[in-house]
Amino acid sequence: MNLLLDILTTAAILYIVSAGLLLIFGVMKIINFAHGAFLTVGAYASLVAARIGLSPLLGLAFALLVGALIGMLIERVVVRPLYARPLDAILATWGLAIVIGQVVTLVFGREVQMLPSPVNGTFAWPGGEYSAYRLLLVGAAALLGTALALLLTRTRIGLVTRAVIMNEQLARGLGIHAGMVRFCTFAAGAGIGSLAGALITPLSSIDPNMGVPWLVNAFMLVMVSGVSMVSLLVATLVFGAAQVLLSTYVSPVLGGLAIAVLAAVTLRIRPKGFSRD
Amino acid sequence: MTESALPPAAALTSTDVRAMRPLRRVVGVAAACAGVALIAPWLLDTYTLNILIRAIFFAMLALTVDVLWGYTGFLTFGQSAFFGAGAYAAALVFTHLGFSPGLAWLALGAALLAAAAIAVVTGWLSFYHGSTALYASVISLVLPIVMTQLLFSGGTFTGSSSGLTGYTAPDFSLEAWFRIAGCVLVLLTAGAWLFVRSDGGRVLAAIRDNETRCAYLGIDTARLKIVLLVGTAAIAGLAGFGYASFSGVVAPELAGFVFGTEVIIWVALGGRGTLVGPVLGALLIEWGSAYLSGSLPFIWKLFLGVAFVLVIVLLPQGLLPPLARLLRRPWARRQSGTDAAGTADTAVLVESPVRAAADRGTPVIELAGVAKHFGSLQVLSGIDFVAYRGELVSLIGPNGAGKTTLMRCMSDGAERSAGTVRIDGHDIAHAPPHACVRFGLGRKFQTANVFETLTVAECLRMARVRIDTPSLWRRSTTLALPPHALAVLKATELDRKLHVEAQHLSHGEQQALELAMVLALEPQVVLLDEPTAGLSLDERSRIGAVFTDLCVRFNLCLLLVEHDLDFVREISTRIVVLHQGRLALSGTVQEVVASELVQTIYAGSAGHD
Repeated sequence: MNLLLDILTTAAILYIVSAGLLLIFGVMKIINFAHGAFLTVGAYASLVAARIGLSPLLGLAFALLVGALIGMLIERVVVRPLYARPLDAILATWGLAIVIGQVVTLVFGREVQMLPSPVNGTFAWPGGEYSAYRLLLVGAAALLGTALALLLTRTRIGLVTRAVIMNEQLARGLGIHAGMVRFCTFAAGAGIGSLAGALITPLSSIDPNMGVPWLVNAFMLVMVSGVSMVSLLVATLVFGAAQVLLSTYVSPVLGGLAIAVLAAVTLRIRPKGFSRD
Repeated sequence: MTESALPPAAALTSTDVRAMRPLRRVVGVAAACAGVALIAPWLLDTYTLNILIRAIFFAMLALTVDVLWGYTGFLTFGQSAFFGAGAYAAALVFTHLGFSPGLAWLALGAALLAAAAIAVVTGWLSFYHGSTALYASVISLVLPIVMTQLLFSGGTFTGSSSGLTGYTAPDFSLEAWFRIAGCVLVLLTAGAWLFVRSDGGRVLAAIRDNETRCAYLGIDTARLKIVLLVGTAAIAGLAGFGYASFSGVVAPELAGFVFGTEVIIWVALGGRGTLVGPVLGALLIEWGSAYLSGSLPFIWKLFLGVAFVLVIVLLPQGLLPPLARLLRRPWARRQSGTDAAGTADTAVLVESPVRAAADRGTPVIELAGVAKHFGSLQVLSGIDFVAYRGELVSLIGPNGAGKTTLMRCMSDGAERSAGTVRIDGHDIAHAPPHACVRFGLGRKFQTANVFETLTVAECLRMARVRIDTPSLWRRSTTLALPPHALAVLKATELDRKLHVEAQHLSHGEQQALELAMVLALEPQVVLLDEPTAGLSLDERSRIGAVFTDLCVRFNLCLLLVEHDLDFVREISTRIVVLHQGRLALSGTVQEVVASELVQTIYAGSAGHD
């Protein structure tokens, strides 16, 4: 039972962490290597929120807002000139990650900080118990996934965004302002990344480089998922399970490598990964 | 300089002298740099020497990243893994076996071998027919992560997270280390300089510009890239070996992803694709870090990050090229005239004899039962078709009839869903395009498909790579082409533009260049997809004459996809009509043009039968 819950919660965490990256990759075909830095920003935003006495929920909203604002700034200044040079966009966003990491270090110091979990203790049932916060994250992931799905399929903004994903030139020909869509997408992706950082902080410590290990896994998951939120769900479940099982039964080191290696092999065998078309 | 007859002996010797000039210049500059490396230890203090020796090993690594990224277009985060492999190979030998001169050689061998072996596996994973640049970068990202995790989990054998230290290493003085490392760096840089400018090295730029065209020139790009990766990995391993032997300490971070990205920062700031830029970038940034990270620890890194972002966005070519232009300006004014527009580098065209073609009328491309479907959509079915030497067959049919798909099925074994294709008697099975080209196929694409940043002469040389293996360190002074390719060049006056970059040619000239490249392959059968699209009437009639000539004089088999019925009628020996994925008709020009089917198709009223 615990193993199953481990898999489920790991997948949920991976989903939360990757969603923002996937959104940006899906719409803009750009890999945002600053995603890890947004996780860090979100973590520190929730730290600040806690210090000034905001409730945890308001803290999450604060993290989302801070991430989105920084995302807007970055899209305008750095990402916009690089749409035609996707490999350079990877590098520029990686440079941004360094800059953000150093700014965070200058403001908050290099030391590791802790934030107490808003939901303590375990959730118990006859015959077992499990960390309540991790279970809460499953709900958060479901909420996030549903919200994104509704936004993309049920609203006008979503319709326009999907049009840009499918055929940007045609969308532009129909009078859709693709630049605006990208701007909003990047801001949303950055905001979700930051929100994800705030959500995972109670499980890990906060330090200026905390985002980097997450970045690689999120990046690999996005690569095998293509542009679909549904494939991302499948990918996080499959690779999350592989990670948990390998860590439990073989060795934690192998478990830590599971996502990266399996994703690379998956792409070698099936370049489309988990996406259908 | 552009005479296409064999040049007289006197001209040859003078071109030989000209070809030696760049070599002599490189040797001169390298000797000067080596001199600096030998003198510098007397002028620098111990601390600076220490910093610089480490930086020199890092600069060797930067050199390999520049060859891969700057010249070949493969953005790699993983060269650090090979550096780490070399470093750990040395440290492991010295820690567990001890130190002796013999063991030092063993350690060096182990370092090169370990790096190369890892590169073979990585290369096999990264490069295959149809792999994308992004995918290769993804693999290069996974590699260092796997490496560091393995080193972490190695227990006392690899020293886990604290690495290995305290082993006995080659005991040279600081000055000797500097001189050895400095001279090796100069040698590597000079070697790389000659290599990337050689005829063989220009293949890298061709791959960067247009990998598909490379494949259709018979170049096995995947294999080339694997070989290149193994070579650069060995050099990275050598640098790692030097670093571990000098510093006496190795840590998992040396093989890590973050270090891999740091190398990219040196290369990007220095100037990708310049070799000297990345070397200077590595040396200066490492030197600066050593002095400034003490007094301004976080600001320095912040500054580097900002500089990196700015350079990527505003100056993608890095800092060296604009600086060099600035310095060269006063010089250029004095030197103008002696080196007119680089034409001195252009090779002389000579004629190479073509292999005697077999008899007229032997089959050269044979299709049996070829079919293609995308899911449930049947695009081609039951295509049986044979074309013979000396024939000029036009493939006509309405849009969506499957003409271009049929061409793809003939030139790439992975394309068709069923049936067999034989080129000049060889069954292509599932062979990738470069192998089909080796069987005797040439394919000209619908839109001009050349190497944009290569000159006309270099583009043509790429087409000859399969036949005349190019040198890896020098440029040939001659360019041997078969007579039909020369004829195309002459007819279109491209032979006067050999030194012009392909991107500066007109649309028609690019089309002609691509045709000449395809002919330079000495193919048996040439596929041409709408060769007259976008050409003027005058150009059209000239190219028609060229086609006829190719069939009549050189016994080639030409297969055209064409919409222009008048053009087809004028030049074809046979016309084949493709309709709704099937071969509807095949016959002489009169038969086909007079047929009811063609009348209805081209009157636009052909419905479903």
